[in-house]
Amino acid sequence: MQDRLTEADGGARVRTLRGPRLSNDARERLAGYLFVAPDAIGLLIFVGGPMVLSLSLGFFSVSGFGEYAFVGLDNYRRMIADPLFWRSLQVTVLYVVALVPLLYVTGLGLALMVQANSRFNTVARSLLFMPQTVSLVVVALVWQVLLVDKIGVFNQIGAVFGLGSISWLGDPRFALFTVIVISVWFLMGYYMLIFLGGLQDIPAEYYEAARIDGAGPVQSFFEITLPLLQPTSFFVLLVSTVTAVCGSQTFDLIYIMTKGGPANSTSLAVFYIYQQAFLFNEYGYCAAMASVLVVVLMAITVLLFMLTRGGRFTYG
Amino acid sequence: MKDSPKRSARMLPSRRTVLAGGVAATAISGFPFVSRGYAAQTLKFWQFYAPGGGVASQDKWYEDVIKAWNDSHDVKVELVYVPNNAYMDGTKLPTAFASGSGPDLFIISPGDFLRYYNGGVLLDLTPFIEKSAQDDFFPNVIASRKVNGKIYALPYEVEPMAMYYSVDAFNEAGLTDKDIPSTWEDLLSVAKKLTTPKRYGVLFETNPGYYQNFTWYPFLWEGGGDFQTAEGKSAFNSPAAVQALKFWQDAVNMGVAPRKPLGGGGWDVVPNLASGYCAIMNTGIWAIANLREGAPKFKYGVFKLPTPPGGKYLTIGGGWAFVANARGSNPKAAGEFCAWALGSPKDGSTTRIVDWCTKAKSDMPPTKSALEAGKAAFESGFLKTFTDEIYPGARGEPRMPPPVYKAISDAIQACQLNGQDPAQAAKTASDQIDAFLSTYKGAPIL
Repeated sequence: MQDRLTEADGGARVRTLRGPRLSNDARERLAGYLFVAPDAIGLLIFVGGPMVLSLSLGFFSVSGFGEYAFVGLDNYRRMIADPLFWRSLQVTVLYVVALVPLLYVTGLGLALMVQANSRFNTVARSLLFMPQTVSLVVVALVWQVLLVDKIGVFNQIGAVFGLGSISWLGDPRFALFTVIVISVWFLMGYYMLIFLGGLQDIPAEYYEAARIDGAGPVQSFFEITLPLLQPTSFFVLLVSTVTAVCGSQTFDLIYIMTKGGPANSTSLAVFYIYQQAFLFNEYGYCAAMASVLVVVLMAITVLLFMLTRGGRFTYG
Repeated sequence: MKDSPKRSARMLPSRRTVLAGGVAATAISGFPFVSRGYAAQTLKFWQFYAPGGGVASQDKWYEDVIKAWNDSHDVKVELVYVPNNAYMDGTKLPTAFASGSGPDLFIISPGDFLRYYNGGVLLDLTPFIEKSAQDDFFPNVIASRKVNGKIYALPYEVEPMAMYYSVDAFNEAGLTDKDIPSTWEDLLSVAKKLTTPKRYGVLFETNPGYYQNFTWYPFLWEGGGDFQTAEGKSAFNSPAAVQALKFWQDAVNMGVAPRKPLGGGGWDVVPNLASGYCAIMNTGIWAIANLREGAPKFKYGVFKLPTPPGGKYLTIGGGWAFVANARGSNPKAAGEFCAWALGSPKDGSTTRIVDWCTKAKSDMPPTKSALEAGKAAFESGFLKTFTDEIYPGARGEPRMPPPVYKAISDAIQACQLNGQDPAQAAKTASDQIDAFLSTYKGAPIL
């Protein structure tokens, strides 16, 4: 119909209008591709390209001064035999397993607490998000001062209750736990905002209907809120997992506060990879480890997609 | 004949032409790194002191050296300041070299020497230095900067490690100069007396890294240990290594030493010793200048490292050195600059070294002539203690490849902070060092 208008259409138009030859479907597809193109091209150049290069670099010995030598799978064999690499993976798994659920619970909990519109909640939301606006270096330095052995604020408070001095960052039993708590403090405001967006998408009528049917707040939460937050939950779980493995806080906090210590107890995979590259000039080995990390992350992503059916959700 | 309006318009440069011209002009004149000619005439010197570094006297020394060179040479040198953290274990230098754009001049410590030497970027400075000037360097200081008799780095300071103590803390605990410990056992006992609910008795570095290893080596050497035999095998699995690992472990386990230092780390004397966080601190000669600037009223004393049973006093002498990039824009001029600045007494290098060691900082000099020329300064105040008692026992900072450093670092960390059995840690590190040495092909490890 819209392809061709002629005099037969009532004589209002005298010339033939030729529309595009593409079908509606094709035009929509084209528009979609064009919208995605800038991002896709950017990703291809700035992420895809370096990823391919990094993957290739894993098969070379790279001095860091211009010399390359093909070594096949040597870097991967070395990785398998490297106890520190396995140790860093172990630390990373502990960090992810603790951080992701904590971020989910705190993010959702805070969002539920401040979701109602009020002046107090507006201020509370801003305050909770505020850590995100501060440089991670500053965050690390401030926490370091608070956590000093013997004379730090936390140890002073502990002393009031008769507790001995705890070395929060210098004792391998506590250091990773401390970094996890600081990471949660830093990131929870961001996930709170994501959950707030998800909560606002849930129609208020559902809660009204539930109330009329006699459902209490707990039942409403488990029967309405949580199921309808499935897409948001998927996003939060995916992004927080990636953040836990290789987010900026993973490196910055460790670099400033512990340098991977004490006794490698906070040496996350990302930090160990950094050390191999920039302190030891082992660029090939570092690229091989980074490639493995990417594969692990991709596997986790696929698993999450499969478990949640891509976070798909229909109101029906 | 009149030009048509169209032609008149054509005679004016179009917007596109103006833009293109601007871009071309900018490319030619505005960005020095684009111009090879400019690069060859201006050498970039990366370090962490100037311009705009944290300590005015050190900033000024660097600025003065560069001004004196630039006033008398055609090829100019430009200082590029890189913050300390970004310089020492940051990405700045490694990425610059990896991308083929390393600085023409930079500074390195012995700990990093092999990394850059084995990478082929250190210029042989020997041809630029007269024989008498080469001989002027103390042999134990220049040794870690030489390969096959050739000099690849010129030091301008030697930084021996010592123990500093707070006079007020000693007085509070009823201790006097007579209680200054001379053995490891004495040190732990005195540290225990100095420990209070808000203060640690003694502080050793606990942050993992090159610096921690650097501060630990003297305790290994004092008991007769080393990390390598003359045959190039690991010597780390030894009673001396076990003893030194246990010494630091005991200090933490007894609760007299902290697990985390304050400020920048175990080198940072003002936030740790002057603030009262600890009463005795294991740090280097630079602490004199740091206390002079950061805590001028703080009363302190200095003593040499205590010794283990049956051991012999030794300390370590680190320090930074000028190096030239063999793959830089003008290696010859860079080499000449290094030699002129630090290896040419007739051009004022002796005075420069004395000024650095006595005015800009508080260090021992790497040359005999500087020690002589600055005699008055080196024989007064706390520098005299270093000159007379501490420096004579200094052994040069070892140079070792990163895998050897890392093996030792892991052993220190595991024992000091994770309660591992020192004998087991020494054996594990030794096995790792042996595995690495069996395939190592770089310059000799010293």
